[in-house]
Amino acid sequence: MEEKKAAILQEIPRLRRYARALLRDRESADDLVQDCLERALTRMENWRTGESPRRWLFTIMHHLFIDQMRKVKRRGEAAILPLDAGEALATPAIQAESVASREIVDALQQISPDRRAALVMVAIEGFSYAEAATMLGVPAGTLMSRIARGREELRALLDDQARRRTIRIVEK
Amino acid sequence: MNGRSFTDRDIHLALDGELPEDERTAYQAWLEANPDMKARSQRFAADNAALRGLFSGVLDEPVPARLAAAVNGDTPKRKGMPPWWRMSAAAALLIAGGLGGYLVGTGGFGFGPDSDDRMAELAIAAHQTFAADKNRPVEVDGSDPAYLTGWLSKRTGLNLVAPDLTGNGFQLLGGRLVPAAGSTAALMLYADEQGNRISVYVTTGGIDATKGTYVLADGGPEAVYWQEQGYGCAVVGTLPPDELRVVARDAYKQLLAGAGLARS
Repeated sequence: MEEKKAAILQEIPRLRRYARALLRDRESADDLVQDCLERALTRMENWRTGESPRRWLFTIMHHLFIDQMRKVKRRGEAAILPLDAGEALATPAIQAESVASREIVDALQQISPDRRAALVMVAIEGFSYAEAATMLGVPAGTLMSRIARGREELRALLDDQARRRTIRIVEK
Repeated sequence: MNGRSFTDRDIHLALDGELPEDERTAYQAWLEANPDMKARSQRFAADNAALRGLFSGVLDEPVPARLAAAVNGDTPKRKGMPPWWRMSAAAALLIAGGLGGYLVGTGGFGFGPDSDDRMAELAIAAHQTFAADKNRPVEVDGSDPAYLTGWLSKRTGLNLVAPDLTGNGFQLLGGRLVPAAGSTAALMLYADEQGNRISVYVTTGGIDATKGTYVLADGGPEAVYWQEQGYGCAVVGTLPPDELRVVARDAYKQLLAGAGLARS
């Protein structure tokens, strides 16, 4: 049991990175990781021993993320923020964000949760298509199209922002 | 495999290391022959690198104690709701004994999981129906608030006051009874000098303690709501979101205070 816990502990930095890319806000991301860890501990028997717990944990977290997104979609994003004005400001994902990095993080949050998860798993977490498809529970073809569409959408959003910035400069 | 033709789909495969080894030379040649595809591939590659770079720092952050504790089986406390919210507003708001006590005892009726969504939807529907009515938005006007709230309290089984929102620029127009999920709700309408109308919807029912904001999928007014055991309140309007939240909290605070609960 202690060995298993140590193996899970080792995965926390990776889980946190994945959650941060999905949700941007640090507290919300860590809440997601915590939910994932708590659920994992109640289902230790589902982890095939002898294997790294990484894919098992990412699978659990993905399910929690999708559940959460469904709720947020219905309630509006503010539902996950406290109503107290002082607490309502999200902690930036990255300290000292430059305009460019802020734009790309913003754009990532605008693409649909399914595409975002697929893109982040492959492009940031470095999983293979086969691994990502298994963890997300979709056929390889679906995964491929989510990645392609996600990446194209991200680029279109960034081009759009660049265009708006150009217009602002011209207007001055 | 020399005859294979490539498409923009292969750009993603190549970028993600999924292009078979023996196709890479041909793919490179295809890129060189198609400058727009090459440019596309370079843009995607740059975006990928930017994404990886942006989040790489997370791996070096120390693991928060609460996460390590979660693995060790301690369930650390979450950053919770403020204490005033944890207070059982329901108990004090419900008129002791009567219908309210019955509702709490049975867990309410007509309310199940997602009852907060249902309440918010009904509050928005009531707002859209009545706040939009220019001439007859209310059944009983606000000239005698005590009479109005006495009537609404009696019919809903809640100990109601009409929140004073003049500090936020809103005057009480009056109120009416509207349907709730399995019960009756009080709707109090307010207007500011610009003619913006907001409504305060209060009802019995609800099982889970939740709060949040709700907007229908196709837009429209926003609801800021609270729900406690046996009690629900939603403030609905089309205002800048922060403004609505400030007014909503003020209204909710006064509803609690009016029922004999001071907000901490």
